[in-house]
Amino acid sequence: MDREVFERRLTAVLAVISSLLLVLAVRLWQIQIVQGEYFLRQAEENRLRVTSVAAPRGLIKDRKGRPLTLNRPAFTVSILTTELRSPERVIPEVARKLGMPASEIYAKLEAAKDRPFEPVRLRRDVPKEAIAALEEDRLDLPGVLVQVEPVRDYLYGSLAVHLLGYLGEINDRDLATLRAQGYEAGELIGKDGVERIYDRYLKGRNGQIQAEVDAQGRPLRVLAKVAPTPGDTVTLGIDLDVQKAAEEALGSRVGAVVAMDPNDGAIVALASHPAFDPNLFATGITTAAWTRLLRDPLQPLLDRATQGGYPTGSVFKIVTATAALELKLVTPDTRFFCPGYYNLGGHIFHDHEAHGNINFLEGIAQSCNVVFWTLARPVGPEQLARYARMYGLAHATGIDLVEESPGIIPDPSWKARVWKQSWYAGDTLNSAVGQGYMLATPIQVARMLAAVANGGHLVTPHLVTEITTPQGRLVRRVAPPPAGEVRISPQTMAVLRAGLAAVVTRGTAASIQIQGLTVAGKTGTAENPHGKPHAWFAGYAPVESPRLVVAALVENVGFGAEFAAPIVQRVLQVAFGISPAPAPHP
Amino acid sequence: MSALAGSPLAPTGPGRFLRNLDGLLLLSTGVLVLFGLVMVYSSTHVSPRPFLYVRSQALHLAVGLVVAGLILTFDYRALASSARVLYVVNLLLLGAVLVIGRTSLGAQRWISLGPLGQFQPSEIAKLVVVITLAKHLTDRPGPYPSVWALLPFLGHITIPMLLIFKQPDLGTAMVYGAILIGMLYAAGARRRDLATLGAVVMVLIPILWRFLKEYQRRRLLAFVHPTLDPLGSGYGIIQSKIAVGSGLAWGKGLFLGTQGVLRFVPEHHTDFIFSVIGEELGFVGAMVLLGLFLLWVYRGLRIAAVARDRFGALAAVGVVSMVAFHVFVNVGMTVGIMPITGIPLPFISYGGSALMTMVWATALLLNIGMRHQRVGMGFDASPAAAHLIRSMRGPERWEE
Repeated sequence: MDREVFERRLTAVLAVISSLLLVLAVRLWQIQIVQGEYFLRQAEENRLRVTSVAAPRGLIKDRKGRPLTLNRPAFTVSILTTELRSPERVIPEVARKLGMPASEIYAKLEAAKDRPFEPVRLRRDVPKEAIAALEEDRLDLPGVLVQVEPVRDYLYGSLAVHLLGYLGEINDRDLATLRAQGYEAGELIGKDGVERIYDRYLKGRNGQIQAEVDAQGRPLRVLAKVAPTPGDTVTLGIDLDVQKAAEEALGSRVGAVVAMDPNDGAIVALASHPAFDPNLFATGITTAAWTRLLRDPLQPLLDRATQGGYPTGSVFKIVTATAALELKLVTPDTRFFCPGYYNLGGHIFHDHEAHGNINFLEGIAQSCNVVFWTLARPVGPEQLARYARMYGLAHATGIDLVEESPGIIPDPSWKARVWKQSWYAGDTLNSAVGQGYMLATPIQVARMLAAVANGGHLVTPHLVTEITTPQGRLVRRVAPPPAGEVRISPQTMAVLRAGLAAVVTRGTAASIQIQGLTVAGKTGTAENPHGKPHAWFAGYAPVESPRLVVAALVENVGFGAEFAAPIVQRVLQVAFGISPAPAPHP
Repeated sequence: MSALAGSPLAPTGPGRFLRNLDGLLLLSTGVLVLFGLVMVYSSTHVSPRPFLYVRSQALHLAVGLVVAGLILTFDYRALASSARVLYVVNLLLLGAVLVIGRTSLGAQRWISLGPLGQFQPSEIAKLVVVITLAKHLTDRPGPYPSVWALLPFLGHITIPMLLIFKQPDLGTAMVYGAILIGMLYAAGARRRDLATLGAVVMVLIPILWRFLKEYQRRRLLAFVHPTLDPLGSGYGIIQSKIAVGSGLAWGKGLFLGTQGVLRFVPEHHTDFIFSVIGEELGFVGAMVLLGLFLLWVYRGLRIAAVARDRFGALAAVGVVSMVAFHVFVNVGMTVGIMPITGIPLPFISYGGSALMTMVWATALLLNIGMRHQRVGMGFDASPAAAHLIRSMRGPERWEE
């Protein structure tokens, strides 16, 4: 083929391509210039909106299947920044209708400016009247979005709040790590308790709606919809009745109650007072309410049952008795004389009364300090600490709650390290009766009693027993293995049990006997620098085959027998279905 | 090969070659790829990681440019002598996609290169087919007296085309048709025979359709009626037209578009990037872009006109046909005059394999252009394109 033909053909190719480009140019002229205004209007009016549909949180139920939390539908007002026009007019108006400062809205928008497609939630659980006012002016408020979202409803208010926990908006740090697991900005996430630890089960999976909306943000039609998947149901070992009884028995006093199955560690009740209402958090707590909670001198946010460390007073005599028996320093019948005081090299330690001639078993029952002071030095601080740790003191129990306190069991090396002081004989005496530097939480004390009750197994306390889908299919059973064993001889164990039983049959806590139920336990009255002594009682029932261990602590009230033991009595009565004996007529 | 090889007029040394680089082609390509980077940024910057896409695109461009530089260092005629190997390797790669390819958007087009990302062989395959077909047409120089004489070339593209069709990538397969028509026409096939060929293919499509398995038909249908579309009835097309139309004469301003950014327009940084251009830069911006492509095409055809041999001339025509078809189908799709197919806008659309292929195609053109027959011939600018191209020709018959 000759070059001339080729070049003519190239010219033809150029002509064809040029005319194709011309076709495009004409078409562009047509839609951009001729019909441009029409399409511009379409662009302004036609919006595609993708919103996520919050999944209802999984329910939390008690051991009998009674729900402790539900979800109720509520209105959430959000702003979609991509649809927001004339914010200088819209935002103050919305702020006024929602009764919140405009500055708060601006702050929320600013915080979310990296996520222009996600609605910025302004307020949850907006009252119907405010929604009505917003809907009336809907046309003047482009970009304002009203959605119905499930809101957590804690059916019993502050009941069990320290174990249930509460919700709060996910913070940026958590979001960075959790976004891959389906968490979204502005979403509520468990901040404490079961709500936090089991959040990934409770959360569910959010759904999505793709809708076409008009210029005023009114949905024209739904293009696609993915339904949310509700979260899994979490069943607790908690018994609602026992929990109520524990909180009522504690009443307005500051303290904590723990009730636990001594055989598997399932928590039956866990109360701490003062408490707060988690419903405050369910819709995002106001700054003022949050500040009030934080600044309250009684620290309602603190879970005294697992985070409060206290000297245990005479409850610790279980440890001292174990050490003395195991080291063969005493037998149940070893006799002591209690003149009401103990003389340590000229320094006098006073007991609460003079018990006179008394054997070791009665020493436990009557909680005679002189008996234990006498044994303290032969046992020695190291052995005391060793047995205390064997009972799980100074170790977090591993309960499924956050920020559990491990407590303190002092010994000479601890004192040298922390206080830079040497250990005195007086320290040993204090340690032997649960005074001095030691600190333990009610949950640790309950576990110590459980070990005595169940023959030496150091159970792992746990709130959750199983997790199921909303349809009831088992997802996970929670049964943590024991944390260890208390290695002591059966004889020692038998003496301890006899001593603890004697405490209730004829000892310091004889006042809490229950008709038809044998109870064993130990009182404690812990001197402390903050005022009156802390009152303790920890016990289990029935004595023959223990099914429940209960520990109660009341801060700064007085004797354990007087203030803590009746709480345990009440909890046991309810737990075992025994109606309280009618009050004797005067 | 060349009659003038070794003569004083022939270029010697790399310096001569570089001086013969086509400046306008280089310029238009440079402006197009920079324009592309800006538009990729514009259509993806509203995100927690605004530079994610544009960084990846720039990285691919950098790699593409390095390889393009290498392409300029050897004589393009070396490609002609290794055409057979290229053809086989090409088929193996396309076959490999079917076996080990990664599925993306329901279509199997990717081969994973591990940490190096993904690789889309069907993009580079287009360029390889241009080269091998040019060699094939050089080996069978014609004349082509009837439609039967064209069948070997149809066969040449059918095998890779079917492999791509199976993936299924209808749009890319159509590009092969455009390449074949363009190159056959330039090679001297009669218009009548090309028309017959086209008609036969039109008839064959429904017959071929019957041989496809049900799921393959569904896939193809899903491709023609894109799954990107939640309504299933041209929603993407409508939204794209709204985006382009709302740009009016001057556009809403760079980075100020709403339709693409708001995700009305599906695939707004890849296949539908022209929607963003039309919306943000308006009719004027669109015309500038089309003008750049016209300049590119014109320089490409000029290189075809001055190529020193039939292989180079036909390869240049093939490259130009490929790019022009891409532009027409892609822009046509966003303005609603062409069906939706997965054809990217050359140099502009986000996508590393496509961008690199286009850069290498340009390098091939430059290579052909800088080794043209008569160094230093003057080609003054003139508005009359036909006259211009004729003015480029040399007096002698060109080797066949």
